[in-house]
Amino acid sequence: MSEFGIKVEGVSHSYAGRSGASTVALKETNLEIARNEFHALLGPSGCGKSTLLYLIGGFIPVQKGAIRTPAGVVSAPGPDRGIVFQNFALFPWKTVLENVVYGLRKQGRSKPEAEERARHYIKMVQLAGFENHFPSQLSGGMQQRAAIARTLAVDPDILLMDEPFGALDAQTRRVMQEELRSIWRNSPKTVVFVTHDVHEAVFLADRISIMSARPGRIEHLVETELGMERDDGVIASKRYVELCERIWALVREQAISASRGEH
Amino acid sequence: MSALEAGHVRPAARSGPRFGTGLLVQTGVLLALFALWEASTRLGLAHPFLLPPLSDVLVRLYQDAIGGAVFVDLGLTLYRALTGFLIAAALGIPLGILMARTKFFGWFFEPLISIGFPMPKVAFVPIFILWFDIYDTSKIIMVVFSCFFPIVMATHAGTKNVDKWPLWSARALGTKESRLLWEVILPLASPQILTGLQIALPVGMITTVVTEMLMGGRGVGGAMIQAGRFADSVGVFAGIIEIALLGMLVIRGLELIRARLLIWHPEARH
Amino acid sequence: MQLVIRYLPVAIFFLVWEIVTVTGLVSRQLLPGLEVIFSAFVGLVASGEFLFSAYKSLTRAAAGLGAAIVLGILIGLFMATNRIFLWLINPIVRIFYPMPKSALIPLVMIWFGLGDSSKVFLIFLGCLLPVIISTYNGARGVGQVLLWSASSLGASRFEILREVILPAALPDILAGCRTALAFSFILMVSSEFVIAKDGLGFLIGTLGDGGNYPAMFAVILAVAGIGFAADRLYAAFAASRLHWKEQS
Repeated sequence: MSEFGIKVEGVSHSYAGRSGASTVALKETNLEIARNEFHALLGPSGCGKSTLLYLIGGFIPVQKGAIRTPAGVVSAPGPDRGIVFQNFALFPWKTVLENVVYGLRKQGRSKPEAEERARHYIKMVQLAGFENHFPSQLSGGMQQRAAIARTLAVDPDILLMDEPFGALDAQTRRVMQEELRSIWRNSPKTVVFVTHDVHEAVFLADRISIMSARPGRIEHLVETELGMERDDGVIASKRYVELCERIWALVREQAISASRGEH
Repeated sequence: MSALEAGHVRPAARSGPRFGTGLLVQTGVLLALFALWEASTRLGLAHPFLLPPLSDVLVRLYQDAIGGAVFVDLGLTLYRALTGFLIAAALGIPLGILMARTKFFGWFFEPLISIGFPMPKVAFVPIFILWFDIYDTSKIIMVVFSCFFPIVMATHAGTKNVDKWPLWSARALGTKESRLLWEVILPLASPQILTGLQIALPVGMITTVVTEMLMGGRGVGGAMIQAGRFADSVGVFAGIIEIALLGMLVIRGLELIRARLLIWHPEARH
Repeated sequence: MQLVIRYLPVAIFFLVWEIVTVTGLVSRQLLPGLEVIFSAFVGLVASGEFLFSAYKSLTRAAAGLGAAIVLGILIGLFMATNRIFLWLINPIVRIFYPMPKSALIPLVMIWFGLGDSSKVFLIFLGCLLPVIISTYNGARGVGQVLLWSASSLGASRFEILREVILPAALPDILAGCRTALAFSFILMVSSEFVIAKDGLGFLIGTLGDGGNYPAMFAVILAVAGIGFAADRLYAAFAASRLHWKEQS
């Protein structure tokens, strides 16, 4: 894979604090993600992993450095970079179908065409039969499926996921992880997946960036080398267990230093 | 769905945007508006009867203040509004609690309160004139009547919707049933009760002014309607400024009381 | 049956009213019996006086309220999305908000005289602020992720305002309009008491001055009933617009 998916070049970011002092969320970060790579950003809360994701998404302006994608230098949000948030961010006044149709209509598709395509994606995330339900009528897992369908339907080159399964219960989480992985295998995309769950990162990703807190920075880069097929067999494998242990040790260090730095 | 359950007594009463970073700009906007007012009248762009110069109004405010008459009017209006408001609270809060805690009171008063709440209470002023004449008693009773309903509604809703987890925790920690109301339920319901008071107070002020206009006598409302009848537009504008300041004083005061009482509440962090 | 039990207290209320008037516990001059009030009401309706007054009053309230809702939503949305606009409007809102709007009655009398426009303008001013403030608060409260989702799906700034901020703020806007509806009735009646030559408030005043208390009671109860019915109709309308919200 010589083609690049995302290039983060010397990016720093700081927030203005309440008292006027600024907090450095991200410092001199460099990262190159290959095209169609499944990349996880792992770290304790407050390590700037979400900040990095939002910068790639173009939601917050890049203060220093540059972020490149095959579509050019990132300066604003765009449909080439889809995003899925932890709390789903569905439009609560729209039905599942209307939510998925929304982005498709913005691409200039006709209504029947958009609806047909939307139904296809709703079926893909196993929500067939719930097209006319409002988000408030669905469980958390189903809402997140709808949000994923809405994002995949516009066919972005890059899929940004901000702890997408963080609000789900453990069982639903596992099912969603397996489905996400198989969706990604069927139509590969460059995925940046933010999480603080070591097992989730190892199970899903090809490569994992482990971030440190205050200032946020990528401390370690780990290749999982678990192969394409990810299922219960992988979880039972020696390599998986060892990787989780090794990465957990790295993350634990960061988490302890981060929690000491708090308050 | 009854009005009591419809949840239109909403928590977290924010009166509006706060002055933030643009404080200077916003003060500047106000000063510019005042300057525009003065200039347009001096340049003859506005008829001095329809819009008297700001300086004339300020001079009148000063004269009223020197003479002391304005303090009698403002004091009377404030006395009626606050007395009525406090009596309404003293009646409304216990009733709201009783309605939430006892079946009989809930059953009997819920329909009466939920029907009374959306009615325009000012329409009853002539009845109160008929019953209680036009003096202080009548005016204060009218204010009580208009403040009473929002206070009962909010107290009832707040007390009824108290979360069960803190209640269970308190019981498990050994709180006596008789103390539960004071030690757990009232503090938990206090944000909504205060919201009810914050809805009632402006309504009480509006009612006080209208009642004074209709029943006559001293007080800001009476003085303003006099000024209006005598085509004294400077007096009308001076009255509006006085009553606006009075309104700001009481409403801001209640906001401060809320902030002090709810210092433990997440809303205090903003 | 449940409905009967629920509204039994209302029946008891009227029953007590009837008993104290029939037995003479309370002077009939001070509290007319219900049947006397009812027949007075029938008389007012038959003569057309009631309907004419109601028409006059309700059109004023509707005009003032309607204008306030349209303008209030626009101003509130712009305040929430444009900082310069916020700075220009916010000081005015902050100054006018705590003022008892009934204090403006003598002012609109000077400006517009006794006709319709004075009342419409007063109702408009009184209803404007609750709509502006609730729209502003609702629009400011829209979650960041919702706005980000829309822009990453390709919505423009204007589309985000119309398709995301407006519907997301709708619960707050509808609540603000309900407050405004209540204000419109209060200001309609008060202004007609003080400055008018027709309308329900004026009718109540003349009947009271003329000592025709049964008719006065009839119109007051009718106004209270209309206010109540308007609120309930509005609540039903608002609930139908928010059918997507969780039933809690």
